[in-house]
Formats: sequence, structure tokens, C-alpha cells
Amino acid sequence: MPIPVHVVTGFLDAGKTTFLNEFLQCPELRDAERAVFRFESGEATFSGARCADFPIPKRELDAQPDGVAERMGAILRERAVDEIWIEWNGMTPFAALQSLLAHPALRGLCKLGKVIYVADAAKLEALAGRTGSAPAEQMASCDFAVVRGVYTARGLKKFQRLLRAFNPGLRVHRAICQDDILKEFSGKKLSPWLRFLIPIVPAVALYLLAAPLLEPPVPLNKIVNIFLGIILQAIPFLIIGVLLSSVIRIFVSGAFIENRFPRHPALGMPAAILAGFCLPVCDCASIPIFRSLVEKGVPLPTAITFMTVTPVINPVVMLSTYYAFGGNMRFMLARVLLGVASAVLIGFTFALRPPKTPITSGGALAATMPCDCGCLEDAESVTGIGGKLGLLLRHAQAEFFDVGKYLVIGVFVSAVFQAFGAGAFASAQSGAGLAASMAVMMLMGFVLSLCSSSDAVVARSFASGFPPGALLGFLVFGPMMDIKNVLMLSSRFSKRFVARLTVCAFAICFATVFLFSFFGGVSL
Amino acid sequence: MTAFARARALNPQVCLELLCHASFSVLLFSLTHSGKYLTYVTPRMAPYLYFAAAVMLLWAGADAFRLFRPRNRVRVAHCLVPAIPILLLLLPHSPLSASDVGYGYAGGSAFAGPGAQSAAQAAAREAEGDLEFGEPQDEITATDASSGAFIEVEDDAFYSWLNELYMNLDTYVGCQISVTGFVFKDPETLAADEFVPARLGMTCCVADLVPYGLVCKYAAAGELAPDTWVKVRGVVRKGEYAGFEEPQIEVTSVEPAEPVEGYIYPFEY
Repeated sequence: MPIPVHVVTGFLDAGKTTFLNEFLQCPELRDAERAVFRFESGEATFSGARCADFPIPKRELDAQPDGVAERMGAILRERAVDEIWIEWNGMTPFAALQSLLAHPALRGLCKLGKVIYVADAAKLEALAGRTGSAPAEQMASCDFAVVRGVYTARGLKKFQRLLRAFNPGLRVHRAICQDDILKEFSGKKLSPWLRFLIPIVPAVALYLLAAPLLEPPVPLNKIVNIFLGIILQAIPFLIIGVLLSSVIRIFVSGAFIENRFPRHPALGMPAAILAGFCLPVCDCASIPIFRSLVEKGVPLPTAITFMTVTPVINPVVMLSTYYAFGGNMRFMLARVLLGVASAVLIGFTFALRPPKTPITSGGALAATMPCDCGCLEDAESVTGIGGKLGLLLRHAQAEFFDVGKYLVIGVFVSAVFQAFGAGAFASAQSGAGLAASMAVMMLMGFVLSLCSSSDAVVARSFASGFPPGALLGFLVFGPMMDIKNVLMLSSRFSKRFVARLTVCAFAICFATVFLFSFFGGVSL
Repeated sequence: MTAFARARALNPQVCLELLCHASFSVLLFSLTHSGKYLTYVTPRMAPYLYFAAAVMLLWAGADAFRLFRPRNRVRVAHCLVPAIPILLLLLPHSPLSASDVGYGYAGGSAFAGPGAQSAAQAAAREAEGDLEFGEPQDEITATDASSGAFIEVEDDAFYSWLNELYMNLDTYVGCQISVTGFVFKDPETLAADEFVPARLGMTCCVADLVPYGLVCKYAAAGELAPDTWVKVRGVVRKGEYAGFEEPQIEVTSVEPAEPVEGYIYPFEY
């Protein structure tokens, strides 16, 4: 039987040794013949209680990994060890530990058990920025985390959010709650195949059995059809978006953007609008591109203008609006120009009052990391065009999953709304003034999350019940911000930023369209 | 050492991702190739769907190189992103029919028929010169069609005929016509003695289906059950809707018909 190898990782002085000292003395821990290999030499002294201690300097590991593996193998054969602990160096990639364990001298002898990330809350944010991808990779590889220096539930939550930027769903325990740690430690890992099948099998069974019973009150068939319709339409564009975004990330250097891209918003805005026109993609594609632009150092106001203008200004959208409204050129122009004006204004509000807190969801920590896409394993070592293309594919794939999950949720919500009919919206505003009708229509645009190339037809079908101004509100605001966009943005950006952007876009679109309608407007 | 012993453990996450990408790719390809995609999106999407299938296949291929790379924290939840659409595509469901389309969308006026259509078609004409709608032109050869030429609107030429009638109404006034559609009645836009033998038209995807068709004058319109399929025979006449001249049908007979499968795709520019 292979010996389980439990690993403690984290920065130097994060408290790894202290954690081991405390944990191994825990009375509830089973008695076992333990060997502890320590690849880190911090300030704390290892007590060595209830185990045999083998310090291995990092120098030795770097210089002769084969020798280290053989030495470990010899120790394991010599003694009747039944549990191994490793204190892993905070600056060494976790992948190096995995290849160490896969070394011929050790393979078959031991297998990876629990990987515990130990962190000191006070030091973590300050350290992470200066240290390359190894710490991020360690955070991403651990099974659970233990944090010290956190005293409140709120503090714990904040810290958990920080780590979850790298390791979604990670559970974090406070160092003083030893019972929780022990429980987490002795829990069994469920097979990944089971974890995948557990939600799927009952859902499929339920669908097959319960579907006929649900209709008519729940239009399940219609929800499924609408969901698939929007998904099939969105996925190719999402793929285009993540591919372009990955090209920007991997082939365009930050320095290039720094030198070539106009810093001043007055020049940057036209560039953003032009870029939006040249990329005939809808909002599913512009959000991933927005993410990479921001990360590459494009000024935030310009990037925001790019993201909000792209779905309105692209030629396909213009054409479909033109046809849907019976060749009404003025209406189409009104939509495009109001969209451009609103996008520029939204961008400018972010130039006037730049966000004070970091806009990415992992806080300062995630913002400084090279990439959080899960392809950290050898991101730094990739050189040459072949390697870069491989990285591009992997990066695009990771981003597809990342943004895709929010797309799926958003589309599902919108499919449910559409299946139940939007009649409620229409009746909510009958007889109300322009402002109320506009608000209702814009809210509907937000909820329905239609693709910008198809929303014109839907807007046309409302023409009898709503004034042209309200339809414009729907067509200008809807593609900029809707449920699926908000969800896709929150995959990377802080709630605060997404909320500000949404409210700001709503207010500005409302204002521009309302003023336009007030001073003449356009007729159908 | 045997090859088996040298082989390292399979990385379940990469394996699952590979399976998802590969099956989604195959499914997208067969859906597009077989034409089944038309129940969800318009023909315009075909190249995009092939493109998506190709990228998915590429991703699956790239995954194959990483199958044996070890990974401690195995994630699976993200694989639901392709898995959910794959499962829903495979699980039984039927295309939407007349009764599924909520006219409630616009409080009853979702009917994109008359006004919107004629104007849209005029625009299409202007924008792109003479549109080629082969079939109607081929069938109607005589310009003296008014003498009782018979227009049999084939199911797959429904929209071309609709368009042709709007464009060259004067040519066809007085012609005999027969057309199959479901009975669409909308108290807000149609009178009590009017109905439309309609087909569902898709602009972008199945979420935006609206009925298309010609308004029929029929005294017994009230007796027709909405959403049932009928074959209408009658004479083309010039009617008016919202200030626009439009072709309508003076009904001579209405008989039950088999439902016609498939949607029409009016905005295939």
C-alpha cells in the first residue's frame, strides 16, 4: 500500500512549521510512524514531536533532485513509515513536488494525500505581488487552507474570497479552530467522476420523469428550446471572444500597449469606437476581450467604452436594426449614435472618478498575478511560437470555462423569463409617461439578455405598446448591460465595480435617450 | 519496467474536459450537418457552428497532450458548461409550435406580419437591388395572371411567395391562391372576420419566433380554432393595414391540413 503524503505549503514565515508543531501534537490525531521532510527552513523551530524529522535544504533540491528522491526512497525503505508529511518551500512550484513524487525512486511507494496551504493574513497580500507564479500555483493546488492572524468571521470571509480567486470553492479554516482542521483533514476525497455524475444523473432522471408532469404551468419544452437557441448562438461568439482575448494576453506585451495606446481618453475613445466597429462581435465576445485589455494596461475608461460600444456599433447589429424597423434609417442611426454617446459618457465617468479599490475580484493579490486561468503549471517557461500557440489554446479554453459558466446561468435565467412571456412588462407601463415606459423597456432589456443582433426584432414587436423612446432605451441599454453580462463580468471583477458600471450605464443610457426623445426624438 | 508501470495516473480533470470538448464538437458538427440546428438558429449560423466545432476539436486535441500531467486539486464543476447544453440537446424535446409562441410578448401585437413586413421588404429591395426569389417567378409566367392563374404556395416557398406578393401585388390581384399555415387570430390587430394562416419566422434564434402570413377575409373566421393547421384557398385581393397597401386573401374554402414542420427565415440577407 502506498504511503500517504500530506503536504504543507505557503510562503516563508507563513507559519508552516508552527502549524505542523501544533497539528502533529493534536491528541485526536491517530498514532502513526511519521516521517517529516522539510524543504523550508524558517524562523520557527520544529519540535519534532511524534515524528522523525528530515530537513532538506532547498539548495539540495534545486541542485540534485534525483539525489533527494533517492535519499527519501532510502529512508522510506529503511523505516516502517506509514505517514509522510512534507513542508514544501513557498517559492518552489508545486509541480516540482509532483515530479519528485513521480521519480522512479519514490513512485509506487507513496501517494499524494492532503495538501494544506498555510497563510498569515497580515503578510499574504504584501508578499504575493513580488513573487511570480509559484505561490499562485500552490494556492490553486491545495485541498484546503489554514490561516492565522484572522480573528473575525468577516475577516475570514475576506481572506477566503482572496484565495478563491485562485482556487474556486476552497475552504479556509482559522488556525485556532483545530477541530475543523482535523475534520477537514480526515475527510475522504470523493472521486472526481462521481463528483461530476452526482449532479447530472438525478437531473437527467428528473427531466425524463417529471417533464411531462410540469407542463402546462411550467413551459419546460419552451425553456429548453430558448435556452439552446441562445446558447448555440452565443457559443461561437464566445469562442471568438476568448480566442482574441487570449491572443491579446499572450502575444501583445504590456509594454507595447503602454507605448502605443493613447493614454489620454480624448484619443483613446475614438480608438475604442473604431476597434468596436472593426470587431463584429456581440457582447458575449467583448467581455473576455475587455478583461485582457484591462489586464494589459489599457486605461480603464477606454476599455469600458470599448466594451459597451462594441455590441451597438457593429455592422451586423446596424443591419438587423435597419431591417427590423422596416428600413427606417433614422431610427437605426439614432440607436447607433445614442449607443456611442452613452458608451463614451460611461467611459468618462470612470476617467473623472477612477475606482479607489482594485476592480478585480481577487483584490490586489489577484491583480498582480500573471494569470489565474489554471494554466499556471508552466506559464513562465513557455518560449517559441509553438509553445505560445499551445498556451493560447489552453488559455482560451480556461477562459471559455470561466466565462461560460456565467453565460450558461445568465441564458438560463433569461430563457425562463422569455418562456413565461414578457406580457407583464407591457402591462406594467400601459398609460404611463415616457420615463416610466423607458424604465420598463430598459429593465426588460436587462432581464431578457438578448443578443444584440436579434434584439431589434423583439423591440419591433413591442412597437404598438411602447413609444419609440422606450424602444431606443431597450436597444441602447440592453446590449451594454444585461443579466448575462453582469454575471460574466463578475467572474473577474469586484462586485463593487460591476454594480457601479451597471448603475452608471443605466443612468447614462436613460439620460441620453430621454433627452433625445424630449428634443424631438425619432418616429417609427 | 513495463509500459504499464511507466504510465502515470490519468488526470481526471483533463480527461473530463477532453470528453466534453470532443462530444460537444461532434454534436455541433452533426447538428449543423444534418440541418437539425435550424430548429434553434437560422441558416446564417451554420459557418459559426462549424467554426465552434472545429475549435472544440482543437481543444480536445490539445487536452490529449496533458492527459497524464498530475494535478492535485481536481475540478469538475466547470465541465458542466459544455455538459449542460450537450445533455439538453440529447434529451427529448420538441420544436416550438404555434401554441408555444406567446403573443403576450407585445400584449398581442407580436404579429410581425403586414406593416413591418411590407416596409422591410421594400427596404430589402432598395438595399440590395432585385432579390432573387427563384420559385415564384418560375411558376408564374403570365403577366395576365388576373385571369385566374393559380398560385399554389409550396411550404418551403412560403416566405418567397409572401415577399413576391408584397412586391408585385398588382400582378397577382385576382389570382387563385392556396396556402397552408396555422390559424393565427389576434383581437388587437385583426377584425372578427379575419385570420392569418401563419408560419413561425425566426430572425436570429428560437427566442424571437413571430408569426408571418397573409390576412384572410373569412366570414366564419370565428369558428376556426386558433393554432390548428389549415389549408386556405381563395383569391388575392388588395387590402389595407395601418395605412399600407398589402395583399390579403378573400377566402373561398378552408380545410384542415397536416402541420408543416420547420420555421421560415425571413431575414436571410
